[in-house]
Amino acid sequence: MIAVIALVAGIALGIVFHPTVPLALQPYLPIAVVAALDAVFGGVRAKLDGIFDDKQFVISFIANTLLAALIVYLGDQLGVGGQLSTGVVVVLGVRIFGNVAAIRRHLFRA
Amino acid sequence: MTDDQPRRVFAPDFLTELFRNPLDPGYAEAAARKAVEGDPTGPRKWARSGLAAITLVGLGFLFVVAYQQTVADEPARTKARAALIEQVQSRRDLTDQLQQQADKLGDDVAGLRERELGGATVARLRDLEAATGLAPVKGDGARVRIGDGPTPINPVTGERNTAARVKDTDLQLATNALWSLGAEAITINGQRLTATSTIRQAGEAVLVDFQPVTTPYEVVAIGPDDLAKDFDDGYAGRFFKELVAKYGMSFDASGVHDVTLPAATELKLRVAEPSPSPSTSLSASSSPSEGGR
Repeated sequence: MIAVIALVAGIALGIVFHPTVPLALQPYLPIAVVAALDAVFGGVRAKLDGIFDDKQFVISFIANTLLAALIVYLGDQLGVGGQLSTGVVVVLGVRIFGNVAAIRRHLFRA
Repeated sequence: MTDDQPRRVFAPDFLTELFRNPLDPGYAEAAARKAVEGDPTGPRKWARSGLAAITLVGLGFLFVVAYQQTVADEPARTKARAALIEQVQSRRDLTDQLQQQADKLGDDVAGLRERELGGATVARLRDLEAATGLAPVKGDGARVRIGDGPTPINPVTGERNTAARVKDTDLQLATNALWSLGAEAITINGQRLTATSTIRQAGEAVLVDFQPVTTPYEVVAIGPDDLAKDFDDGYAGRFFKELVAKYGMSFDASGVHDVTLPAATELKLRVAEPSPSPSTSLSASSSPSEGGR
């Protein structure tokens, strides 16, 4: 419950403040969103599995986002930014898919 | 990590592992730890919940920012396009306006000239204008239609065989033949030719005075009554008939009655000298032609 309220509060804050993303950070935004989605679905699944852990959730989100950003940054410096971004998106995408499938099984028993 | 739990081994096949168990293994470890140590209580629990809540606030914020960024990016592209279209439109309107103004001023000049110069001089001037392409002309003559032949695509290479396309040299030949047969004025697809007109190829397009013209090419000439017949029978007619037979291009020359050829859109005056007789103050001698004639 608190989680949903916090998420809505964050969305409201974003709508109210309407921040502009600095140009330097713009390439990392999509990757950050994918990492965040991964963390959210992982957290929801853990909650449904009954093993949700606040600390694990916070650390996994921050670490994954930073790692994804670092990989993209490194890729940009090496000239393979696009390919490394694809790698990150594939790995996180697979996880999102698997977790959503587990959530679905929890919710619909199918 | 507790000792009674089997140590997590990262399989070399990371992707298979990822597909099989997408949940962060940390959750399972945390649950196992909880089972041993019990739930954290008191301020620690609250701190953790608060941290998670703050993270979620940040998450929501991030989603909104990303959404807004994506939405803002799209109109930026369309906006640039719309601005360009608007610019084109306004420039076009401006061109129309200026053209109207130029036409009006041209009429004024013609009227003044007629008033100041005598009738005979004006008539001479008009003849000169008609001959040089500065004024529209009307009369009988010939119409030559030349069209591209079939340009089949090679099914193997996917390349288009453009051998049957009308080339700039073909049009040059047609116009030169018409001039030599006594044509007084010629247009290609409505583009009046002058002494300095150019007929050139730019890639696949044919440019007449830098204006693109496309197939079918209609070369209309005002000249002697038997211009069409002479053209058809002359070397140009034979040339085009051979192209028809060889490449399947279309060619047709026929006489026309009472056609009006427009004035050339632009005639750059390059060299001008004062006329020897003071009464006729306008005489233009053009530089050598660049092509077409």
